[in-house]
Amino acid sequence: MRDELDRCQKTETDPPASRAPVPVWIFVLTLVLLFLGAVYFDTYGAWFNKQVYAPYESAEELALYQPKSGAAAILAHGQAVYENVCGLCHGSDGLGKTGQAPPLVGSEWVLKDVASLAHVPLAGLNGPIQVKGQDWNLAMAPMGAGLSDADLAAVLSYIRTSWGNQSSAVSADEIKAVRAALGGNGPSAAELAKMTPVERGHAVFQKYGCFQCHGQDGKGGVSNFNAKTAEQVPSLIYVADGYTKDELIAFISRGERNIPRKNPAGPEPPHFMPKWGPVISANELSDLADFLFSLKPKGENLGF
Amino acid sequence: MHMKMNKKIAAFLLVTALASFGAGVARAADPLDAATQARIDRFEKGPATIDVSKYPQGIQDNYEIFQQKCSQCHKLSRPINSDYALPDEWSRYVKRMMHKPGSGIDSTSGKKIYEFLVYDSNIRKKAMFDDKLAKLSAEDQAAAKAKIKEVHDAYDNK
Repeated sequence: MRDELDRCQKTETDPPASRAPVPVWIFVLTLVLLFLGAVYFDTYGAWFNKQVYAPYESAEELALYQPKSGAAAILAHGQAVYENVCGLCHGSDGLGKTGQAPPLVGSEWVLKDVASLAHVPLAGLNGPIQVKGQDWNLAMAPMGAGLSDADLAAVLSYIRTSWGNQSSAVSADEIKAVRAALGGNGPSAAELAKMTPVERGHAVFQKYGCFQCHGQDGKGGVSNFNAKTAEQVPSLIYVADGYTKDELIAFISRGERNIPRKNPAGPEPPHFMPKWGPVISANELSDLADFLFSLKPKGENLGF
Repeated sequence: MHMKMNKKIAAFLLVTALASFGAGVARAADPLDAATQARIDRFEKGPATIDVSKYPQGIQDNYEIFQQKCSQCHKLSRPINSDYALPDEWSRYVKRMMHKPGSGIDSTSGKKIYEFLVYDSNIRKKAMFDDKLAKLSAEDQAAAKAKIKEVHDAYDNK
């Protein structure tokens, strides 16, 4: 007892308070768990949507399994065509792409009357325009010229009612009327029947607005800022040298989304080759290839 | 000690941020047509040079032009390991490239590049070449052989 007292008294100072920092692994673990939690929530949480239940993971996924009928079926079809044709430039979210394609969300071009809207995919749009107060000066080929009235109506209905756009649906009859007013996209069936493949191919070249980017008769000269090809859209007069007919048709069908840049750090060039496969028919493609092959200047021979 | 910990945390945050950013960018990027991309990747995985020491001097000179011109726009491993082997395939490929605006390949150097590629495939890609040749019609076979002979005649033993 005495000894113990001695020992206590011998302690001269209080032991120092332990101020060791919280071990770093706790922070690391917290962050890892937070991150994984966020990823898990993003993947499976469906953002608190009460209609989504296991095993489904999002409202979009759930919608895939809902039976479609009437207007919903048309919109679903419109969406499919949109993703395949329009979405390459205007984006799956309809927000467009800086320097390449204006947004469709809230665009007065989309929301105004059907006739002016339908005019764009049927006849193309070239030159300066304003969209939501912003200036654009680009070329859009008549990407809808090869779509049926029903397909085009479905696409336009889709963009007019998606991403917060609240406008009326478009009927196939309305498209038909606009197409007729435009002169039905070139020569009539009777006229086409009398033409040679090269002449028909020229009509295809005009119908789909190829000249907008490749120049009249494919002579080139249209500028494409920051494109590695001398900042130009290539001319087409030498395709006969570089492609078999099959190769050329395959190329036009799949297009070329990624245009190499002159300055790798610079912006994406505004023009690229659209994916024409879903738009131009097989017969038209064959005629188009014949026309393009006919463009090669006569008498030129490279000697190999 | 404190410094070190801060660095660790900072590094971790950076990695996390980069990883999420990377995933976002990957999702947003426009993919090249998958089949084309796979084809290019396959070619570009191979070697980027050719041992031309046994080729005639003229072909070795052409190899230099090939290296200089073609590397302006793409990796040399792409044509070197591509599945082109026949003279017509090379003729189309070289012309397609030289007609791109700003390629800087005139018809003289275009022809030299073509001759190099034909000469080289006929030797280095012998198996592929023979296989492709065998699938041609008799007429096309004769034409392809004539084009190869033309290149060999122009360069061998000179």
